[in-house]
Amino acid sequence: MAEKHKPAPMVDEVSEFEVLEIAVRELAIEKGLFSAEDHQRWTEYMHTLGPLPAARLVAKAWLDPEFKKLAVEDGVKASLEVGIDWVNSMPTHFGTPSDYCNLRVLEDTPKLKHVVVCTLCSCYPRPILGQSPEWYRTPNYRRRLVRWPRQVLAEFGLQLPDDVEVRVEDSNQKSRFIVLPVRPEGTEGWSEDQLAEIVTRDCLIGVAVPKPGKTANDPRPVRPAVNPYHH
Amino acid sequence: MAEINPKYHELDNEMRERKLDESTPVSLLEDVKHKGRVWDDLCEEYGVDNPDPPWRITLEATCDMLAGGYWETFNVCKPKEERNPEEEEKKLDAVERRWEEDKLVEKYYEQVPFPERQLLALAHTMIRRGLFDEEELARRMEEVDQRLNSA
Amino acid sequence: MSKPHYDREHHVKKATGIGDPQCFKGEAGAPKFKVGDKVRVKDLPDIFYSRTQVYTRGAPATVAELVYESPAPEDEAWDNTDKVTWFYSLIFRQKDLWPDYPDAFDSDTVETELPERWLEPL
Repeated sequence: MAEKHKPAPMVDEVSEFEVLEIAVRELAIEKGLFSAEDHQRWTEYMHTLGPLPAARLVAKAWLDPEFKKLAVEDGVKASLEVGIDWVNSMPTHFGTPSDYCNLRVLEDTPKLKHVVVCTLCSCYPRPILGQSPEWYRTPNYRRRLVRWPRQVLAEFGLQLPDDVEVRVEDSNQKSRFIVLPVRPEGTEGWSEDQLAEIVTRDCLIGVAVPKPGKTANDPRPVRPAVNPYHH
Repeated sequence: MAEINPKYHELDNEMRERKLDESTPVSLLEDVKHKGRVWDDLCEEYGVDNPDPPWRITLEATCDMLAGGYWETFNVCKPKEERNPEEEEKKLDAVERRWEEDKLVEKYYEQVPFPERQLLALAHTMIRRGLFDEEELARRMEEVDQRLNSA
Repeated sequence: MSKPHYDREHHVKKATGIGDPQCFKGEAGAPKFKVGDKVRVKDLPDIFYSRTQVYTRGAPATVAELVYESPAPEDEAWDNTDKVTWFYSLIFRQKDLWPDYPDAFDSDTVETELPERWLEPL
């Protein structure tokens, strides 16, 4: 006798926050701040976004030196090869509001480690990487990374030798950035899929480095800062 | 000698005058803060894995729509005669919104997890700027609540 | 007054299919700086809508790349999109930004982009 298919668990109640979100949106539309159609199209577009294309871009670059060269010289063109079109995406057909069309791929070397931040407001390469994580948006990260990068990276579990140049990329204008980390040892003969699997979102931001067997971002518990941000 | 658009000084003063440090709590939002069930708690109770509530992306979209693109590529590119000052007032610039969000969260919503804190800060900012008022929001919340919770 | 070769009225049409900032390509004229130039960030009045971070003001930097042409953010937000300018990617040594940055990490840097008007030759 076949086992009855168990439905996936669902949250069965409507929270005040859900009600608030809808109310804010509906009022905004009623007041003419934006149209329901634009909002829906934009939402549908955003649902398609995630970190997989960026991971594949890195995997491709590791496997093909010519593609790596293209990625570093022209991130927008390289993005097309992983199915991301920075220009012709919704809703404007000349780039998304606040993401623009200038992806720069930052190539790490054994002596150069990049890490990305937007000190002003948390700009992020959404078309190729999806939504930014909470910690990326906090003043704690944004104000401290530029000032004490090694301490902040240590909090993420990443320690770098003294003679490695840690370069903080402050994403303050129209460019958006992903990090192309150094391909780790122990991945010889791997396929593109296998390589892409270990390029996590945290690796693409630069707060982690790819490792064989590590296919997920670390959970981020709220920890007191080593050098807290004082207002 | 770099020419900075003089409008900038105006805006700068305006932002300073906004006196965010003297902002007041919004009682409707304080209610939501205290009584609302956050996604983390709901997930635990119902055994759901999804890290984000279903409204996270619609909230992001609302923020983007309000900004109309950070550098106003829509409105600012129209010739002066075609620009509508009323339309322009309706925008909520992304950098301003984030700046206020940082300040409001620090002052009122520090204990609230993300993305609930972003939502509360957005509603707070919109009320402060007169895009809608607290009563309107309260009424609309009631309407929505009835709609969603009716059989 | 619109420059003859930049028609503000048609920005949307102009950028469609091409992208922003790509749509401003060729409009900034000759760049003032080239890769490798040493520059200093001017300390202009602190203005909210500026995207020039306070921590860069007055600091020396090296031009790493000419990244694109675009109206500066200070202008673009205010209807002054006639002035298209070159944007540079600049590398700052951490030691030049924070006097107490540890000597052990001498090679650490910050890279960020700024429009031409914020830079002067070192």
